[in-house]
Amino acid sequence: MTKIEEVKAKVEAGKAKLVPGLVQEALDEGNAVGDILQAMIASMGVVGDKFSVGEIFVPEMLMAAKAMSKGVAVLKPLLAGTSTASFGTCVIGTVQGDLHDIGKNLVAMMIESAGFKIVDLGVDVSTEKFINAIKENENVTLVACSGLLTTTMSAMKETVQTLKTSGLTGFKVIVGGAPVTQAMADEIGADGFAPDAGSAVVKAKELVNA
Amino acid sequence: MLTKRQNLMETIKGGNPDRFVNQYEFMELIMEAPMDLPLAPGPGMTIKNKWGITFSWPEGQIGSFPVQDDEHKVVKDVTKWKEVVKAPSVYYTDEEWAAAVAHASSVDRTDKFVTAFCAPGIFEMTHHLMGMEDALMNLYEEPEAMQELIDYVVEYELAYAKQVIEHIHPDALFHHDDWGSQISTLISPAMFEEFILPAYKKVYGFWKENGVQLIVHHSDSYAATFVPFMIEMGIDIWQGAMTTNNIPELIKKYGGKISFMGDIDSGVVDHPAWSREEIAKYVAIACRRCGKLYFIPNLSQGLNIASFPGVYETTSEEIDKMSKEMF
Repeated sequence: MTKIEEVKAKVEAGKAKLVPGLVQEALDEGNAVGDILQAMIASMGVVGDKFSVGEIFVPEMLMAAKAMSKGVAVLKPLLAGTSTASFGTCVIGTVQGDLHDIGKNLVAMMIESAGFKIVDLGVDVSTEKFINAIKENENVTLVACSGLLTTTMSAMKETVQTLKTSGLTGFKVIVGGAPVTQAMADEIGADGFAPDAGSAVVKAKELVNA
Repeated sequence: MLTKRQNLMETIKGGNPDRFVNQYEFMELIMEAPMDLPLAPGPGMTIKNKWGITFSWPEGQIGSFPVQDDEHKVVKDVTKWKEVVKAPSVYYTDEEWAAAVAHASSVDRTDKFVTAFCAPGIFEMTHHLMGMEDALMNLYEEPEAMQELIDYVVEYELAYAKQVIEHIHPDALFHHDDWGSQISTLISPAMFEEFILPAYKKVYGFWKENGVQLIVHHSDSYAATFVPFMIEMGIDIWQGAMTTNNIPELIKKYGGKISFMGDIDSGVVDHPAWSREEIAKYVAIACRRCGKLYFIPNLSQGLNIASFPGVYETTSEEIDKMSKEMF
């Protein structure tokens, strides 16, 4: 197994304590920074797929994301000046009136691992806050709205429709959360929907590349 | 006509019920029992409970949430949990117990089960104290500290159980602990078996050794893969079983060892624009596909209420109609 393959395997296994050392060893062996980063992004893709099919669970996904973030920290000084956010910026938040954040956090982690810059607005986010974040951040390509309560679905609808009629351009809107379905996403005018964090990252890349 | 209690027993033992058990009708919940229920009491309110956990109920919303930003979470470093976690006392005065004792004494136990209520659960307590992400990652990163914390919560639950048993002599226990989202469990079966199963074997074992005949566990989630553990820990009825679990299949596989209460997802029927027609449709689907034994048609909500006025009562009426049709 090459050192890069080892990095990939340990990120997938969520070995946060081992990954930084392995990334350093991979660098010492002369591997390119970009190749190591791509390997870690690929492992998070595998993690997302395994999560979507129920092969792994939330703790394993969190540990893999943590392992990747420790690995990226080793690469960061070498990446200075070059953007790692190849897909642009994703503004994410749980819609107004809803304090659920676990699903939103998982999606943020996975999307960040795939190569987006994340602007996480947290929970109970007003439409105005979403709009301001799009204006204030560069190259926003994706806005992700989360909601778990049936009662906040009206807030999600309002957020999506306001974003779509705001006159702002250059981004797609993805929605998710327990009560959200593809039919509902279509009805409120979202560009995409994903049923879980693993699928969200696949959909996010698809929307931005479209 | 069987009493509610008899009808419940016939249903879960595979006998001859004469109608569907209608939602929570067999449980007389003694909610007056003094307890450390952690939730914010009403919309627009924020409280800090006796464990130091902050709960907030946003205005216009249907429930209370733990607040777990860095400023509010109780356990910031699980290896130091002993410095910050202090269980509240389980001892309450006779005066504080009086309403619960009076309520329990008034119940005709041939008709209903005097039921103790416990929430939050052991797993929930870990993430209420430190936030979900930390709780889940700590099961990997600091398993010894997490095990110690779980043991501490178990000791608290056992001490509280002793007090409840002494005061109201419950026939049943209704215990909350959500273990999943609607499509998956939060942790793997292996992790559940290692950390959570032993804890509940102790707690539910204690209640049963002390006169409790029926353990009803609430988890309004997917948890089909945990059913063998539920049986092992002594759960008689899993309440909150959502449709995503394929309950008819679970009944075929495990009926006789455990019963399932749910199959009507609250999120689908309990909303501001609810209607009798919609409720009737989902009640009928649930009753027809799950059948008469090892199944109790019920909203997945963890109490005998609904979020929107009229939904619980209408659901009960529609279940009665299905009883007339099917029995």
